[in-house]
Amino acid sequence: MTTVGQAAARYAGSRVRRVEDARLLAGAGTFVDDVTRPGMLHACFVRSPHPRATILGIDAAAALALPGVHAVFTAADLNGDVREAWYTGIGKDVPDTPRPPLAEGEARFAGDPVALVVADSRYLAEDAAELVDVDYDPLPAVADYATAAASQALVHEGYPGNLAGRLGGAPAETVADAFAAAAHVVTETIWQQAYAAVPMETRGLVAEWSAASGELSVWAATQAPHEVRMFSARLLGLPEHRVRVIARDVGGGFGLKVAPMREDMCVLLAARRLPAAVKWIEDRQENLMAAGQARHEHGTARIALDDRGTILAATLDHVQDVGAYPTPWPVGTGAFVGMNFPGPYRVARGTFSHASMFSSTVGRCAYRGPWAFETLAREVVLDIAARRAGTDPAELRRRNLLGVGDMPFTNPNGVTYDHMASLETLERALAIVGYDAFRSEQAAARAAGRHLGIGLSCYAEPTAGAFGYYATEGATIRIEPSGKVNVYVAGGSTGNSLETTVVQLAADALGADIADVATVQGDTAVTPFGAGTGGSRSGPMTAGAVGETAAILRAKLTALAAHQLEAAEADIELAHSRAGVRGDPDAGLSYGELADIAYFQPHRLPPGMTAGLEASGRYTAGSRQLWATATHACICEVDVTTGAVRLLRYVVGEDCGHMINPSVVEGQIAGGVVQGIGGALLEELAYDGDGNPVATTFMDYLLPTAADVPLIEYGHVEVSPGPGPGGYKGVGEGGAIGAPPAVVNAVADALAPFGVTITRLPLSPASIVALLEEAGA
Amino acid sequence: MKPAPFEYHAPASAKETVELLAELGEGAKLIAGGQSLVPVLALRLAVFEHLIDLRNVAGLRGIEDRGDAVWIGAGTTQAAIGRSGLVAAKVPLLTRATPLIGHFQIRNRGTIGGSLAHAEAAAEYPAAALTLDAVIETLSPRGQRSIPAARFFTGIWSTALEPDELLTGVTFTAAAGRSGFAIEEFSRRPGDFAVAGAAIAIELDGDGDGAQIRRCAIGLFGLGPTPLRAAAAEAAVTGSHVRDARTDARAGEIGRAAMAGLVSVPSDLHGPAAYRTRVGAALVAAAWRRAVTEALGEAPGGALSEEAAGG
Repeated sequence: MTTVGQAAARYAGSRVRRVEDARLLAGAGTFVDDVTRPGMLHACFVRSPHPRATILGIDAAAALALPGVHAVFTAADLNGDVREAWYTGIGKDVPDTPRPPLAEGEARFAGDPVALVVADSRYLAEDAAELVDVDYDPLPAVADYATAAASQALVHEGYPGNLAGRLGGAPAETVADAFAAAAHVVTETIWQQAYAAVPMETRGLVAEWSAASGELSVWAATQAPHEVRMFSARLLGLPEHRVRVIARDVGGGFGLKVAPMREDMCVLLAARRLPAAVKWIEDRQENLMAAGQARHEHGTARIALDDRGTILAATLDHVQDVGAYPTPWPVGTGAFVGMNFPGPYRVARGTFSHASMFSSTVGRCAYRGPWAFETLAREVVLDIAARRAGTDPAELRRRNLLGVGDMPFTNPNGVTYDHMASLETLERALAIVGYDAFRSEQAAARAAGRHLGIGLSCYAEPTAGAFGYYATEGATIRIEPSGKVNVYVAGGSTGNSLETTVVQLAADALGADIADVATVQGDTAVTPFGAGTGGSRSGPMTAGAVGETAAILRAKLTALAAHQLEAAEADIELAHSRAGVRGDPDAGLSYGELADIAYFQPHRLPPGMTAGLEASGRYTAGSRQLWATATHACICEVDVTTGAVRLLRYVVGEDCGHMINPSVVEGQIAGGVVQGIGGALLEELAYDGDGNPVATTFMDYLLPTAADVPLIEYGHVEVSPGPGPGGYKGVGEGGAIGAPPAVVNAVADALAPFGVTITRLPLSPASIVALLEEAGA
Repeated sequence: MKPAPFEYHAPASAKETVELLAELGEGAKLIAGGQSLVPVLALRLAVFEHLIDLRNVAGLRGIEDRGDAVWIGAGTTQAAIGRSGLVAAKVPLLTRATPLIGHFQIRNRGTIGGSLAHAEAAAEYPAAALTLDAVIETLSPRGQRSIPAARFFTGIWSTALEPDELLTGVTFTAAAGRSGFAIEEFSRRPGDFAVAGAAIAIELDGDGDGAQIRRCAIGLFGLGPTPLRAAAAEAAVTGSHVRDARTDARAGEIGRAAMAGLVSVPSDLHGPAAYRTRVGAALVAAAWRRAVTEALGEAPGGALSEEAAGG
């Protein structure tokens, strides 16, 4: 339980300090690796060193002979135990891709788990893993998804041409007339490298099976404790109510932890066969080899403009790498890339196509704005179009962006945007960054041999998508006999400040002092069902859940107080953890006094009122999604000798509706922007031409450090509150969506005098030098 | 990422250490600050049956003024060297190289002896030692040895150290006369190993800008299997008048000349060989300008600022 010691008239909308920080900053958080159980065992995976190989045999005798080793499991031991392995958010009826717990017969990427060793310690488990003798017969790999269709080799037998799935809109011919009539048509293929979530806390879980009671307890690094419970119950054929999942502190998820993955399945299956709890903590090298990749994709974007710079049509043909074992099913998200390609612009015509391709590399997984490529492709190509047409990129956007006055607006692929102030965020970002003044500064710098550039990117971000199990969220609020308040929600916070925002919202909704409110999250045994964090849903959905539930208790507190104080219910005011009577400052009862009556003096309750002060409620979203939007503006300097890019300023003008806590909003944006900067400049989950991973430590996988990131400036545009609770929209993913194209466009702007066109990420110094040399600079 | 089992030894003297090394043979490895060795062990890239920890070995730490030289004990941390006034006054190149090594947490643990013995080709101290013609001192059961830096670095992570030999210290000649020192490197992020780097030491003979360049050393790192000296470029400039050598055009020529003889420039994720030599030439030129400026007494020469290091 957590509390805060700050009082305010209204907490939502203010910069309430995070209630999580006291324990986290003191090093007193409880992450999975902090969990210890009696006799706990430790697991380590034996992983394939080959991108693709037949597994001829596995000899575990030497490993099992090592003192302290309890078991070595292979596919033959575990895979047959799987009852069902589908994700609630996707459903069991989609044509999901294969996902065996351990590699069966064939290893399909370097890092593929082939066996699971269980020992007294992780040290021993690693010693034993080295002794497991796997007889591999290496096969040619499908190293590159972009040529996988033509490859002789197949990643999975049942998928000819290595095609995992394909979706698309209307045929391209249907928009051919719009392109034929256009004054300008710009066509470019944009290539993005693989990069990954790389949370500070890697994946991991502790699973403990109690055969006597038939109960499974799981401590997990997860964004969705209830999904881990449902999945585990289905996987093992256990009744859902015999599975308990606990996630206290989680050190970052970013999508990687939305769903149990193959290693989690292995550990859950193994736990049933072990006499004690088993812990698996992914190490960093495993994380960079086997946790998952994202962003590896390319797309051919076509944008038609008239001679005034009005966008007439936009199409995207998109192909993404899904690796060998994607989690979850990647094709639907892939299609959304194309559907949302027109973005926050007034685009009348368009269509899209999407293909998901297997390769002999680590599987694709969800990562903060999984569809973000639509923004990268559109925004980079818009800048290319602006340069070719001799139009200023800000002016091109201004002419075409949707503003509040254009809402609602349905794009040519059938996506309807509403309550979205994109044009307004552009103007705010331009004002903060001082766009016109920068252009003068840039000209002066160029004259002095310095190469400065500015890049913009705008996007429409669907948040709080309300389909399937994401459509509702529950809360239980208990005003304890002392008058203190506990709010129970599903949680899934991985650093998203969900405890803070819940406490803020509940204090407001109940008229309680924030110091009197605490929250319990992340334990399926005590919290209501909820889908966890993902899809930028927690802010609005949790606000809805807390609001619904608090309304029940407000009514009860009001009726109870009116009865005790002999006042009309309409005159009862709830504030500062006290029910008062309007116009009579002396009359009133504290929540402690009311709770004492509610729990211990039932004879004093009004007729018909139930005892106690506890309520549960469930919010059902009223919209399919809530549209957030933003404009990013980045200023950089490029050293044309070394190719080094230095970011000088970074501005985000954004509309996430009303803010529950501006500091939390800014934290979410900053985290995403830093990840996007990493993707644009540094991070690359690289493979060599044979399919071997070459960036498996932090020496080669380069995350941005504090020295690589400028101060991020924010402009909050709250002119278009969402239709959901409190006018809140989600804000979890946008930073990561908007940053890569803003950085790319800034670099391209800096290098514009050299005639350089950037179509390939990441912008490593060497790649920038290569572009300059190619351009003859 | 847990190391394989090893036996731990912590001898108290250098003599005991080398006897242990001789006795245990190839299965033994010395550990000082551990900043390179510990990750290697954790990743099981190498497995040693014995680790001999130098933490208790007497006489390995310290910085001593020896008049026209400075002696630095092998166990002296990079952080201690970085904040030494004596080093700043007499071996300024070393002071300037230090902030480029990793991050401060690394420099608090990492030692000069460990850095030289590990002999990473992209590291700063090996290149500085080579540029300054430092002398590396060792002890083995057969006695003490002094190895000139020019003969110390023999290949990738390889040195002239015998298997039973302990690096005990390193002696640098103190700066004298009209001299200038500069080190420049380019890395993907501040604290990363250099994609390319250059260290320059020059000494002038005579007054004003009519002076001649009496001595010139151009050290390169990240540009081959070991730290290197650009001998041909050095020879071409030695003896010339400093007034002719201080122009930007001449600096550019020296930079290109320093790259001319390179045959084994590495290529990896962070840049192909051609890119590294392009950057290397620019770094030599930049270091050259700084070193000349300092030698002429016109400005402090190339206390490379940290923000310039990362690009």
